[in-house]
Amino acid sequence: MTRSRIDLQDLLFGLFLVAVAAGTLVATRNLVIGHAADMGPGYMPRVVALALMGFGLFFSGRGLCRMRVGIAPVQLRPLLAILASVGVFALTAERLGLAIASVVAVILASFATREGRLVETVAFAVVLSGAAVLLFVKLLGLPIPIWPR
Amino acid sequence: MELFDNLLMGLSTALELNNLMFCLIGVVIGTAIGVLPGIGPIPTVALLLPFTFGLSPASAMIMLAGIFYGAQYGGSTTAILVNVPGETSSVVTCIDGHEMAKQGKAGTALAIAAIASFFAGTIATIVIALLSVPLSMLALKFTAVEYFSLLVLGLIAAVVLAHGSVAKSLAMVLLGLLLGLVGIDVSSGVARMTFGIPALSDGLDFVPIAMGLFGLGEIIANLERPAERRVVSQSIRSLIPSGKDLRAAFPAMVRGTALGSVLGVLPGGGAALPPFSSYALEKKLARDPSRFGKGAIEGVAGPEAANNAGAQTSFIPLLTLGIPANALMALMIGALMMQGIQPGPQIMTEQPKLVWGVIASMWVGNLMLLVINLPLIGLWVSMLKIPYRLLFPAIVLFCCIGTYGIANSLFNVWLMMGCALIGYFFIKIGVEPAPLLLGLVLGPQLEENFRRAMLLADGDFTVFLSRPISAVILGVVAILLLALLSPEILKTRKEALAE
Repeated sequence: MTRSRIDLQDLLFGLFLVAVAAGTLVATRNLVIGHAADMGPGYMPRVVALALMGFGLFFSGRGLCRMRVGIAPVQLRPLLAILASVGVFALTAERLGLAIASVVAVILASFATREGRLVETVAFAVVLSGAAVLLFVKLLGLPIPIWPR
Repeated sequence: MELFDNLLMGLSTALELNNLMFCLIGVVIGTAIGVLPGIGPIPTVALLLPFTFGLSPASAMIMLAGIFYGAQYGGSTTAILVNVPGETSSVVTCIDGHEMAKQGKAGTALAIAAIASFFAGTIATIVIALLSVPLSMLALKFTAVEYFSLLVLGLIAAVVLAHGSVAKSLAMVLLGLLLGLVGIDVSSGVARMTFGIPALSDGLDFVPIAMGLFGLGEIIANLERPAERRVVSQSIRSLIPSGKDLRAAFPAMVRGTALGSVLGVLPGGGAALPPFSSYALEKKLARDPSRFGKGAIEGVAGPEAANNAGAQTSFIPLLTLGIPANALMALMIGALMMQGIQPGPQIMTEQPKLVWGVIASMWVGNLMLLVINLPLIGLWVSMLKIPYRLLFPAIVLFCCIGTYGIANSLFNVWLMMGCALIGYFFIKIGVEPAPLLLGLVLGPQLEENFRRAMLLADGDFTVFLSRPISAVILGVVAILLLALLSPEILKTRKEALAE
């Protein structure tokens, strides 16, 4: 943790909210607002987005003018490994089937830590994949292919 | 006696063979995830939701509820033996429980924790049964106006009483509300914020969002911390506490149960607040406060009772009013809606078997937990030896499959991936994601009731103040918000939560 001159946590949260609010306002620009007695579909999104915008500006402003401890540095390894694992599962599950997708997802996820040993990881992935197929497809009847089509 | 009739009806539902089985499955899974640090009840319940489709509503709720209070039992085992809280609610149990274990009294500590939990669970079940009827009678008088005010109260109170910055939590509730608006607008049929993606027209599923924010985001953040390996080398000798221990623990149990029951009903209370308050209370009441932190048995009995009582009474707002007290109850509401049951004040009169079945099952489940936890303690201890490097890839995989399973859609898996990234971002910037989930689940109801109320009142906003029940509820909201602005309360709240 390093001391920083701005409150980065507040500032980032504020900017995030402003971005979401702005995005909402753009995405809902064509929706009918209506009035209080007969609200159109655009009424609530716009009210909520404006409130979020207010919060976002408040946090950004507060973040800029007070000192706080900074944010612990981001470690890319766990972040990328977990995201990649989920992403690859999404790409392969329906095409290559649950068995293969599970093995790949588990192996990718275990790259998140340096502790893993390759042989152990691969063996574990195969066992888990088998368990997942048995539990989800055979027992719980999840409609997903097991092998490549 | 209407109460006994209701409880008997509940018991007859809870004791049906398949419901007993689902209750057992629930409490066993609950104990397991409670014992394992790093997996909370929220992602677990989210993970199992898709597989409750095929069950009857009562079986589904009985199982999901079992996971929640089972986790409270399991969490204390890890706290006592390894000095790591298996759940946030068992943080306090670490202090004196682990100290007792170090002195060779692990068995006593575990037994007292389990007995205190069982005692609290039994009393809390009765409290739920007693409070449910009058509350739901009141709720039947509600129209859209009152219901809107009640939803606002639920959201605000949950934010005020939970930990973290109130302003940030409010912003998170709004963010959740916004996400809840995605999809086709019910009254006009116009697609809102769907960006042309057909999967979005039914709205965002909350399961991938909950799993991404709470499950995966947490895993990524956990992996950044240096790995700690602790080997459990505690021999558990006697599991039967002496009469002296029981006498010392009993008053603490009673006080903990009372405190937990009250705090649990409050929105935002749930499982985190009661044990902390109970520990502080026991320390204040003790003749010799210096014993605390050195293995005081009251320091285990009180918080454990409080945490279990709180976990159970947090079902009261859900079962009577349809308002979730915390993020987990929000998931329960989601489970009900998936079963086609509209949560709300009418649930008690329309689904008496469901509500009373769940209430009675809690007592049955607590009895099972006592058996599961004490004689089988060795099994749970050996589970603690599973290293995290094997655990987390398995959780990631099950999250992927579970998310896919809700609607057999890969879109949900992608959504979960995005939410994992956002969840990690929230942890990095120190924002609590729980209010977002509350907002997301309550959002559609809030909008619907607001629009209906406005339609009835012809766009007159004063209707919320001119109707007495609604005015009182909004008055409480105003008091809560005003109280927060007073610097004195702000200070005590900070201290209370920091403890």
